[in-house]
Amino acid sequence: MPASAVVRHVVTFARVLREAGLEVGPGRVADALRGLDAVELTRRDDVYWTLRSTLVSRREELETFDLAFQAWFLGAAVRPQLRLISGQVPPPGAPGLTPAPAAAQELDGGDREVGGYSADELLAHKDFGEMSHEEFERARKLIAAIATKRPRRRSRRLRATGKRGESLHLRGLVRASLATGGDPVHRAFRSRVLKPRKLLLILDVSGSMESYARALLLFLHAAQGSGRGVETFAFGTRLTRLTPDLASRDPETALALAARQVADWSGGTRIGFSLKAYNDGWGRRALTRGAVAVILSDGWEREDDALVGRETARLARQAFAVVWVNPLKGDPRYEPLAGGMRAALPHIDRFVTGHDVASLETLASLLGDIDRRHEA
Amino acid sequence: MPLSSIDRLESALTDAGYLPDRGLSTALFVSLKIGKPLLLEGEAGVGKTEAAKAVASLLGARLIRLQCYEGLDVSQAVYEWNYARQLLHIRAAQDGTVDEAELFGSDFLIRRPLLEAVESEEPVVLLIDEIDRADEEFEAFLLETLSDFQITIPEIGTITAKRQPHVILTSNRMRELHDALKRRCLFHWIGHPALDREVEIVKMRVPEASARLAAQAAAFVAGLRELDLAKPPGLAETIDWTQALVALGTQELDSAVVEQTLGAVLKYHEDVLAVRDETLAGLVAQARAR
Repeated sequence: MPASAVVRHVVTFARVLREAGLEVGPGRVADALRGLDAVELTRRDDVYWTLRSTLVSRREELETFDLAFQAWFLGAAVRPQLRLISGQVPPPGAPGLTPAPAAAQELDGGDREVGGYSADELLAHKDFGEMSHEEFERARKLIAAIATKRPRRRSRRLRATGKRGESLHLRGLVRASLATGGDPVHRAFRSRVLKPRKLLLILDVSGSMESYARALLLFLHAAQGSGRGVETFAFGTRLTRLTPDLASRDPETALALAARQVADWSGGTRIGFSLKAYNDGWGRRALTRGAVAVILSDGWEREDDALVGRETARLARQAFAVVWVNPLKGDPRYEPLAGGMRAALPHIDRFVTGHDVASLETLASLLGDIDRRHEA
Repeated sequence: MPLSSIDRLESALTDAGYLPDRGLSTALFVSLKIGKPLLLEGEAGVGKTEAAKAVASLLGARLIRLQCYEGLDVSQAVYEWNYARQLLHIRAAQDGTVDEAELFGSDFLIRRPLLEAVESEEPVVLLIDEIDRADEEFEAFLLETLSDFQITIPEIGTITAKRQPHVILTSNRMRELHDALKRRCLFHWIGHPALDREVEIVKMRVPEASARLAAQAAAFVAGLRELDLAKPPGLAETIDWTQALVALGTQELDSAVVEQTLGAVLKYHEDVLAVRDETLAGLVAQARAR
């Protein structure tokens, strides 16, 4: 073991890193000490690399580590502003999510039971853009209850399925053949099982989507809760990854965190630019490959329609299927005239609406049923 | 002894045909010294797999490689029974003389990379390549194997490693690995090399190339990485490309030869379209200016 001064130094340094949001457990500290024991402590960069390879576990932490290392070991004059990575406390009342105290409340008269329909059924067909504050509060419970269906794929893994199935269960067959002198009389089978397919949701939160973005964000949160392999993003003028924030079970916390992440809430729209940012930064890491990709946007591009087409095509080449959810499509008179929407259309597999609770339910079951790329 | 200091390891790696930077040498050194697996992450083509090969060669150890892919399971990664042999064996034997213990004994076992690494008597470097491609279930299984280096086969029992293999995992970050797995490993991020180092590496790997061509090729690729491409070329592409240039008898870059060979560097049609005409000429001029 290194001298006790070194031990104290490293242990304290690990605490600094923990405060900065790195996950540095006692195991990593022990590794660091064993590592330092093995290298000579004469070269500063050897100490740096040893601590870095033992105390850091992901690329995002490298910058924080470097700052902390500088401050701690190289005696940088000021304690640096450490960027928090996790464990953030959600702010009370995040922008965009707390609905404006709607003056519409007085308009929200007695619509509890009308003509035999329950209030929920009526609410399910009410456009999000026309809901009062109170109606929206009820709608969010309905939304939270849907979106649990996931598209599925056949895994490569085989499970024993008894006397019927896709391929012989050879281990079982050999064992059964012992009794029959090596003749495979009793056959056992195995089949592929269905597993949830990756699901990717990209939500437009720009100004033109303002009436729908809150409700759709709730849908994203519900989808995020449906298990592993779900990735969520939001964009206005730039792209933000929401997956870690929406992962929280508690919708209030999750939505507050997500809203704080999205810097350009209700601002302009750069669909093409944002899709490109996704394709470059995340699609390249094969997040898209084999996934069902869902874009929730009105297709109202402010900058470059052709780019929207190109980047949607890129997404479609990698994804299993692309679903475009456009709340405007809820209006029967709607025609996809917006330039961005028109450019994207040829590359989309399913084009649906998402302007009320009922249409989100339809979307959820559509996602659960997608079993081939293009609509027949 | 390559393991007596970082400097020694560094020069042994260089002798093995791999030019590491100080960070990678230190990470490998510490990992070998304290006997923990090393997780190498980085963009495709920065030399993660090559690093493992170089370590095996300098240690005189056998390299056992497990290439991961979606759907990889125990029968491909650890072991499988040789069913055809088993059935033939039952038939060949007299009635009732074969019992289950014999049938599921080590004679009928097909060893896959993980079992091979655990059973090996000689020193082994186990390379678990592109772990991010495997399913999460497999990751969980791997976690168990990496923590105590033993493998349980229901019919035979538990096999424990006689000597612990050196493990190197690589990942292209297609997805985030599980924290528990990361906790078992040391971590090192390999970025694109600095230009001077890339020139050295190209000279080392493509000795037939003139120093001037190596420098120009590396500078050209470095210029490509500055552009906004769907897939920026890695070190592996620089090496492939330089080999292609040498095969064509190129002494110095010019727009014509670059255009003919660009397919060795850029793997997306969009990228090839983006690097044409003035862009290409500009990059060539910039590379030749070095």
